Amino acid sequence: MTRASVVGADMTTFGVHERTLTELFATAALGAYDDAGVGPDDIDALYFGNAMGGQTENDTHLAPAVAAQIGLAGIPCQRFEDACATSSNAFKNAVEAVEAGVHDTVLVGGVERCTPETGLGTGEMTRIFASASDRYYEQPTGLTFPGVFALHTKRHMHEYGTTEEQLAHVAVKNHANGTRNPNAHFGKEITVEDVLDSPVVADPFRLMDCCPFSDGASAVVVTSDENADSFDNPVDVGGVGHATDIVPLSAKPVVQATQAARDAASQAYEQAETSADEMDFAEVHDCFTGAEVMASEAIGFFEDGEGGPAAAEGRTAIDGDRPINPSGGLKAKGHPIGATGTGQIVELTEHLRNNAGERQIDGAERAVAHNLGGDAATTVVTVMEARE
Amino acid sequence: MSLSHAEWVDALRDGDLLGVRCPDCGTVYGTPFAVCNECGSRDVEMTELPTAGEVYTETTVEVSPVGFDAPYQVGIVQLDGARVTGRLTGEVGIGDRVVLDGVLEANDEVAPVFTAE
Ligand SMILES: [Zn+2]
Repeated sequence: MTRASVVGADMTTFGVHERTLTELFATAALGAYDDAGVGPDDIDALYFGNAMGGQTENDTHLAPAVAAQIGLAGIPCQRFEDACATSSNAFKNAVEAVEAGVHDTVLVGGVERCTPETGLGTGEMTRIFASASDRYYEQPTGLTFPGVFALHTKRHMHEYGTTEEQLAHVAVKNHANGTRNPNAHFGKEITVEDVLDSPVVADPFRLMDCCPFSDGASAVVVTSDENADSFDNPVDVGGVGHATDIVPLSAKPVVQATQAARDAASQAYEQAETSADEMDFAEVHDCFTGAEVMASEAIGFFEDGEGGPAAAEGRTAIDGDRPINPSGGLKAKGHPIGATGTGQIVELTEHLRNNAGERQIDGAERAVAHNLGGDAATTVVTVMEARE
Repeated sequence: MSLSHAEWVDALRDGDLLGVRCPDCGTVYGTPFAVCNECGSRDVEMTELPTAGEVYTETTVEVSPVGFDAPYQVGIVQLDGARVTGRLTGEVGIGDRVVLDGVLEANDEVAPVFTAE
């Protein structure tokens, strides 16, 4: 069952960029136009993601501003904010609009700058990131975002015996994948010892368990199943699940379950009439190594408690039996918040067109993307399929 | 609202932990909610929580936001049926017993502090 199709996809490199938010987004958007073979006249609406521009750069009302840079002034443009799940939420809404016939063809994407190019240092950016934790019942404790996922992960370690070495293997694997991705923030291999020797940020996470602050943009062109036949290289969207969980973290019945991800994955697989077993690979939201382990279980790639051992055994490597994050993931590819969700869609699109270069998953026909926001209280899961 | 943030904070400064309890399904929360997320009841009532419990999960923050001085330990404490996030002292781990021991006042805000029992 095809809900919509992606017919164009592009992203900037994720890393450090001097260019402004609108310039960065335009780079990805023009690339997506070219990839689809469309121009502004073919686009009926913009679904745009930016999470923190108001806080980081005093820059809001961005949807019309970025639209104007790419010739879209006049059409309906809307901005989405859902913490780190920002642009996958935009993508979900775009798929629904196209499927419902509200629009024929839409541009979806996101942009963010998180590096010191914003003029902000680590302490200030750590404070801004922490704004996605509960304002009244978490922020006053000094809890940080690495701290939020540390709370999840410590409980996972307690329940299942997941170890710091297993977490380190996630970082090692994603850095190795990142060396094969020309758009990745980091392009250098690391070892388990490098991870375990790096300074602690919030235990059990060390610096090399954490994704970097990145700048970047990503964009895709979404059209209806019917329209897609007139494009060169469509990739179909079989399902998009979206679920939320209770906030704050203290009210979640089982924190390490990341229940929203389980619910969103069930929805996405059901819509696509498929299952986790049918997926050739996954892109998951590894903001921290522990988050990838929990995600790999929540999307059904491994039984609960098996995510850590699976990472250590190499099962999630590009040549493993359940590849995860061939792009390098947030860990190595980078995490420009509002660009991350559609960045995953770009990665799925490239593999399902058999066009992912050195990191190509051989013969990939179906894949799943998992993008979470906040303390995992938002998750969007997307299933995509090569078009027959 | 059965319990406001201001009432939660005032009680905390007096050494009491308040939460809300759903009379329809029995769920207890360590922070205010207007409606029960388990059953949808709007009859949630303010309830006093025990001030001693067990560490459910914890971390030591070594890189802090501006306005805080790392390192410090943050954790979620299980207090009978409810959980509350606060500062921890006394080098406690998951499963250790802790008791409410004052509050952290920082940046015009307040958070509970628990220490080893
Ligand atoms: Zn209830």
